[in-house]
Amino acid sequence: MLSDLTASTKRLALVGLAKNTGKTEALAALLRELQEAGRRVGVTSVGRDGEERDVIDARIEKPRVVLPGGSLVATTDGLLRASGLPYDLLGDPGVRTPLGRVLIVRMRGAGAIEVAGPSASEDVRAVSDAMLAHGAEQVLIDGAIDRRAASSPDVADGLVVATGAVLDRDIEEVVLQTRDAVDLVRLPSVEDGGDTGRRLWELAEADGRAIPGHATAADSRPDLLVGEDLEPVALPPRFVLTADAEQIAQLLDEHPAARWLIVAGALPDRFLRSLLHPVHRRRRELVLVVSDPTRVFLWKRGPEWYRRRGILLNTLNRIELEALTVNPLAPQSHRFDSAQLRALIEAAIPGVPVFDVLHPDYVGARHMLA
Amino acid sequence: MHEVDLAAVRPYADHLDDGLVQMSFTLPVPYSLAARRAALELAATIGFEEPEVVHYEQLTEGYTYFVMYGRCTQTVDFTLLQSEGFNVEYMSEDEIEGFAREHLGRPIVVVGASTGSDTHSVGIDAMLNLKGYHGHHGLEGYRCFQTYNLGSQVPNSVLVAKAIEVGADAILVSQTVTQQNLHIHNLTELVEMVEAEGMRGRMILACGGPRVTGELAKELGYDAGFSKGTEPQHLATFIVRELAARAGSGAEVSPAAQSAPA
Repeated sequence: MLSDLTASTKRLALVGLAKNTGKTEALAALLRELQEAGRRVGVTSVGRDGEERDVIDARIEKPRVVLPGGSLVATTDGLLRASGLPYDLLGDPGVRTPLGRVLIVRMRGAGAIEVAGPSASEDVRAVSDAMLAHGAEQVLIDGAIDRRAASSPDVADGLVVATGAVLDRDIEEVVLQTRDAVDLVRLPSVEDGGDTGRRLWELAEADGRAIPGHATAADSRPDLLVGEDLEPVALPPRFVLTADAEQIAQLLDEHPAARWLIVAGALPDRFLRSLLHPVHRRRRELVLVVSDPTRVFLWKRGPEWYRRRGILLNTLNRIELEALTVNPLAPQSHRFDSAQLRALIEAAIPGVPVFDVLHPDYVGARHMLA
Repeated sequence: MHEVDLAAVRPYADHLDDGLVQMSFTLPVPYSLAARRAALELAATIGFEEPEVVHYEQLTEGYTYFVMYGRCTQTVDFTLLQSEGFNVEYMSEDEIEGFAREHLGRPIVVVGASTGSDTHSVGIDAMLNLKGYHGHHGLEGYRCFQTYNLGSQVPNSVLVAKAIEVGADAILVSQTVTQQNLHIHNLTELVEMVEAEGMRGRMILACGGPRVTGELAKELGYDAGFSKGTEPQHLATFIVRELAARAGSGAEVSPAAQSAPA
């Protein structure tokens, strides 16, 4: 079951591919299993979890988050008060959100509570570390909507991804979109172990000022083009964010030996699409290197589609995907057969355990009933 | 002279705690005594005591318009909301300028746009442009703000690049949120892109739109959400207070300023 798989992951992120993919149910299942195992848990959310009704479609009732006594939680002062549950205040990380000020507390008794912790990744990390320091054995970081930043290796040590029927009315489409999302999470790392890999790491980590031809502020690291000779060429500021197809084509024409493009920050879908034609014309692959998969923004196409067209996506830091959970029901819309959906996903995505935590055949559930 | 009981606040018409509410609505029924009776019954069912129809008239055949009074029996505990962090008192333009001078002492850079496929920049224009909204200047009219209004249909990557280029303290986006996941995705993508650029801690992110609530803003990952009826000084109050709080200047901390529903 889920908790076995993720037992050694100190900070576990739960991320959904869209709203209503069953993330909260997966969180609830984990909480039940961890309570059974007697493990003290800390919980936070980058959004808001455990609310009664969906914030966008009020017709949809949502599952509550029930925390065992002794759990740690990071949530706002207002939501703590609204829960009516007794707690001990452990810390005030100085984080303000639209729903109030975030507090870190230990629940004195069990009960349902809305969890709304810090949104910014830096704060999520700080709050998770604080909960571990205060005695949590594991921290569960609940995502929101389709936001992935919490799955970054800077924040979490492992990831569970929730997918579901809500992605599309066509089951094959749901499987394909899930596969593309997993491919992105599992981007291959850049030339593991070899000299080239080490050199690329070195370049990626370098202070901006160390790059010849780059004279802007040290805190804005430029994107770098790297050729066979492993020497970097600094690109104009914010190149990857703003360049159009013409500028990209010109760049690649000027550097026919370029093999890697180290992206300092975000890699938007617009840039990838603008790369297609120039890469096709030069008839050579180009490897885009990002810090971690959360920096890549893909719209319609997955990494495999770009790979077939000569654009490879590599990452410096990898994300550990522990499991997939599946919600076969799209609220107010349609439903698939859970076993069938899981089988199709398992066939398309080797090596990742797939669960439906609400299905009678989920081991965790059986265990609880015993 | 009575003191207001902030733990049990009810409407005020002539006397403190009289609970009197004036409301108006149209019923799709012919102008008649029966229509008047229907309005009174409806108001009673909603929970108003001693409802009165003070005016009613035919709007068009089959439709009757009512202006009514009724006594509201419910109260709201204002003290809870204050301590929950909704304690932002909106400042006037002068007060905001003074606050910024005292606590920040430098221009505050704000970049705004209507993102995604929305063609309307009406919301952003109302907040940023000099003309502003309801007689209140947009942020452009303030000395303490340096604003960049990028207009409509701005891709997230372009918005983020501009914000980085000008050293923005705050990014303001406006988008109509519907049931469609596309709109939601575009809003979350902006937050994620700012994170991916390592700028999340340095920028205040605010989103606005007809149905944006604090709850939605939180789920989307923004620092504040502004709905219909927001005026520029509401947004400006939030920005200066939040910046001061982040700078640790000791100024009163404040989470999102929420506008009253229109």
